[in-house]
Amino acid sequence: MTATKDALLPAGTTPPASARVGPAKRRWSAERITPYVLLLPAVAAVLVLLGWPTVQMLGISVRQLDLRELVTGKTVWVGLKNYTDVLTDPEFWTVAVRTVGFTALLVAATLLVALLIAVLMRHLNPVLRICVQVSLVLAWAVPVIATTTVFQWIFDQQYGILNKTLDRLGFHSFIGYSWFSTGTSTLVVIGLLVLWQAVPFVAFTLYAGLIGVPREQYEAAGIDGAGPWQTFRAVSWPAIRPILTMVTFLSVLWDFNMFGQVWAIRQGGPDGASTTLAILQYLKGIAGSHFGSAAAIATIMLVLLLAVTARYVQLLVRTKDGEIT
Amino acid sequence: MKRWLKLAAGAAAITLATAGCAGSGGGDDASGSGGGQGSTLTVWLMTGSAPDSLTTALDKEFEAAHPGVKVDFQIQQWNGIQQKLTTALASDTPPDVIEVGNTQTPAFASQGVLADLSGDVQSLNGAQWLAGLKASGEYEGKTYGVPFYAASREVVYRKDMFEQAGITKPPASNQEWLDAIAKLKAKFGSDPEFQPLYLPGQNWYALLSFIWDNGGDIAKAEGPNFKSTLDSAGAKAGLDFYKQLVAASGTTAPKDNDEANPQQAGIYGGGKVAMFVGTPSELPTAAETDPGITAKTGAFPIPSRTAGKSAPVFLGGSNLVVPVNSKNTDLAKDYLKLLTSAKYMTQLAAAGAVPGTSTDVSALSKDPLGAVMAQTSKNGRAVPASPKWGEVESGQNPLKDMLTAYLTGKKNLDQATADANTALDKIIGG
Amino acid sequence: MRKSRTQRVTLSVAGVLVALVFLFPTYWMFTTALKTPGEILSPKFDLFPSSATLANFASALTKPGFVTYLGNSLIVTLGAVLAALVVGVLAAIPLARFRFRGRKGFLLLILVAQLAPLSALFIPMYLLMRDLGLLNTLPSLLLVYFATSLPFTVWMLYGFVNGIPYDLEEAAMIDGCSRTGAFRRVTLPLLGPGLVTTSVFSFITAWNEFLFALVFMRDQSKQTLPVWLSSFRTAFSVDWGGVMAASVVYAIPALVFFLIVQRKLVSGMTAGAVKG
Repeated sequence: MTATKDALLPAGTTPPASARVGPAKRRWSAERITPYVLLLPAVAAVLVLLGWPTVQMLGISVRQLDLRELVTGKTVWVGLKNYTDVLTDPEFWTVAVRTVGFTALLVAATLLVALLIAVLMRHLNPVLRICVQVSLVLAWAVPVIATTTVFQWIFDQQYGILNKTLDRLGFHSFIGYSWFSTGTSTLVVIGLLVLWQAVPFVAFTLYAGLIGVPREQYEAAGIDGAGPWQTFRAVSWPAIRPILTMVTFLSVLWDFNMFGQVWAIRQGGPDGASTTLAILQYLKGIAGSHFGSAAAIATIMLVLLLAVTARYVQLLVRTKDGEIT
Repeated sequence: MKRWLKLAAGAAAITLATAGCAGSGGGDDASGSGGGQGSTLTVWLMTGSAPDSLTTALDKEFEAAHPGVKVDFQIQQWNGIQQKLTTALASDTPPDVIEVGNTQTPAFASQGVLADLSGDVQSLNGAQWLAGLKASGEYEGKTYGVPFYAASREVVYRKDMFEQAGITKPPASNQEWLDAIAKLKAKFGSDPEFQPLYLPGQNWYALLSFIWDNGGDIAKAEGPNFKSTLDSAGAKAGLDFYKQLVAASGTTAPKDNDEANPQQAGIYGGGKVAMFVGTPSELPTAAETDPGITAKTGAFPIPSRTAGKSAPVFLGGSNLVVPVNSKNTDLAKDYLKLLTSAKYMTQLAAAGAVPGTSTDVSALSKDPLGAVMAQTSKNGRAVPASPKWGEVESGQNPLKDMLTAYLTGKKNLDQATADANTALDKIIGG
Repeated sequence: MRKSRTQRVTLSVAGVLVALVFLFPTYWMFTTALKTPGEILSPKFDLFPSSATLANFASALTKPGFVTYLGNSLIVTLGAVLAALVVGVLAAIPLARFRFRGRKGFLLLILVAQLAPLSALFIPMYLLMRDLGLLNTLPSLLLVYFATSLPFTVWMLYGFVNGIPYDLEEAAMIDGCSRTGAFRRVTLPLLGPGLVTTSVFSFITAWNEFLFALVFMRDQSKQTLPVWLSSFRTAFSVDWGGVMAASVVYAIPALVFFLIVQRKLVSGMTAGAVKG
């Protein structure tokens, strides 16, 4: 395996300037078609299996599509009515602001916790590091449905181990304390659940980035008399920045669209105070059978998400593109 | 467009196949179920509805009577049923007979996705249909749903504890109920884990009884539309009585959750609870913890404010429907005819349900808990027959939020009922 | 840089805390699965189990259909993972090794393709599968899981291929290998850890999916494990012990998969190829 490692080590640092086919002119035309042939399966799959449903969703958003229309296959165009209905509902704006805020806080928390753990792993002795890694892997491997159930049970008002433990520790006011009495505390519990599920992936990714930095660079910084914080700023940070961009993009995506966990915990309650856009979309679409309005909400979500992530998409495409041209 | 799509996806499938990693051939089984040439009748019932022995015998008898027809019987689970039904109805070969919750039936009926069974009511034993369910299967004068079975809530109690506390007969009015709670508390209250009545904050089925008993209702019909009436005096009185019960009992049940989370019967099985409001079918759950509890358990109807009467109860249950797109409508009706016959309805009653198409409840009444239900279900009522009511239950139920807000003291009576009224109007109003 | 004693102790304490926090829910799932219904609904403080019963596991495993569901889940999940890897590698090669028109457009496509909420796509996807005649067949699920993990897979694998110096392939070509041969003999073996790292992600995504599995598969005999797991909840009751035991059982294949790949996982990530 050492051979693999040696061969791979320069990966992070060497820009593959030589990794290119010779001048295109000298090659015959088959060479020019090759990339397209190789890309074809991926493009076809993405277009048919993701692109087409997305286009359909856009189409549904300007139609009235209730159960009746869905079953009979009748097409009823209503123009932008679904959009005006959604956008003129004050509840929608409350929910939209809540969703954006929740996503922002959650992503920030995920990145921060994961970064701290990644740095910690780098400095731990091997035995403890493996313990931490195993616990992270376990948390990551346990299926989402199972974790969600366990969290519900841990936070149960009467029989949850959390309240029982807090009571034992002397905080007797937590006997029968309801973690779901307000939207904020409900969202905090959901946030903890998501953190627990999402941090391992991000932490591992960042950790990989951190140990990709050659030791000499740290040693050099040490000789120059830089403290831990300066070393981090000067050496680690530049190494993990591109990774951060990617995991931020992915986290925003996942947290913004997250449905299962939010619904499972309290169905967006109490009083709709933990309802996010994904929940609203579900309430309209499935619970209310108004698939047109639901598609309109989903489209608005898509646009919002595009607006939020545009910068990341740009950054990501540019770095990737820059690597070769 | 469709053909283009098929081609494109076909190409993608070929790419996958040549890459050596396509899933094992599914092309053949695609036609295997779901209808074929009308030789397969697909039936979907919900989990826990009918005992296995009943459905096995039923399918066997049906197949014997219809040579060449196979019954494809599938049990569905509650989780995600809304999505499953929605998409199944939109498929080319929907199931032929489906069990649909009675509160969901109007939603499907109003969308024109169910077959009109008005002409078959007579042959399906229509004269004996359970009144509370019958109404939920009707929409604009036509019949779309055949009553299947129902259940209602009653007060399940520990006979031995009542005896020890000196309560000689089950409470027959609200006052007597509160008195019984006080007596139980006096007798067993030294045990901090003891609860005279386990009542979680969101048992809205119990709340319905109290609201109706006080002359209120959830909503009233205004022509074809509905207007919620949760801010009426009756509704407020019902909600207030709920709080009185919770306070009198000092129940430690969660105020922010319903009777299923955690399941109340499991807690009753722990032996520290004297009463809970539930259905007879919950008792086996308690017996899992303590097998001896069944013998010590009795039941009485939910008391009324008027002495000697019992409160109206919510009739929960299911209807059987035939999707309008079914390819086997005649076979489906034959199947319904068999299922609604006295023979199978009796089996259903023996299994502890109020039968939907038979007035004969003797099999149910053999069980002490069932006997109470058989009696109270005659006084059974339903939620507003609004096509939008389904959304209340499959989405965010304002009644549950109202209960939690009032019981935890977050809102006062007027505020809680007014907010819930607005929220409910937003769903079913107009 | 030597660390002082206090520093090392602080670090160790932090490490232990992190490990405990991340272990706890798994621990709790496991111990709850070992309790009787009475113990689960007991108000007593029970952080450490006093007794253990295997009844929940027995009832979970004997619930009809478990083996079928497990098989279906494995077929669909592993199939989707493999498909995504193959198509992903094919796409990663031109991205890393060729300069061609439309490259940027493709990168943009796979980033944007992941943005739409899946819960909103399920009706269009259902209609698509219906029109393709794939409903109620395992390939329909396989295709959906393959598609949802493909963008991520392409993105990651591109980074990995890019990280393997092209010089190695060139050297092989000088030795007489064809271009394809050079890629197969030199780059592909080096790609091992990258393939593993990527597959973990697709595996988890597919292994967990509930909604599409429930809706696409009409026959119970074609359901997958997440659907099986949710059947422990009925309308009026939740069998907590059963749910927890089933969750443990359900997590085991995912854990096994992790254990098989874990050595490569860390080295794969170490390769720095996850670089954005």
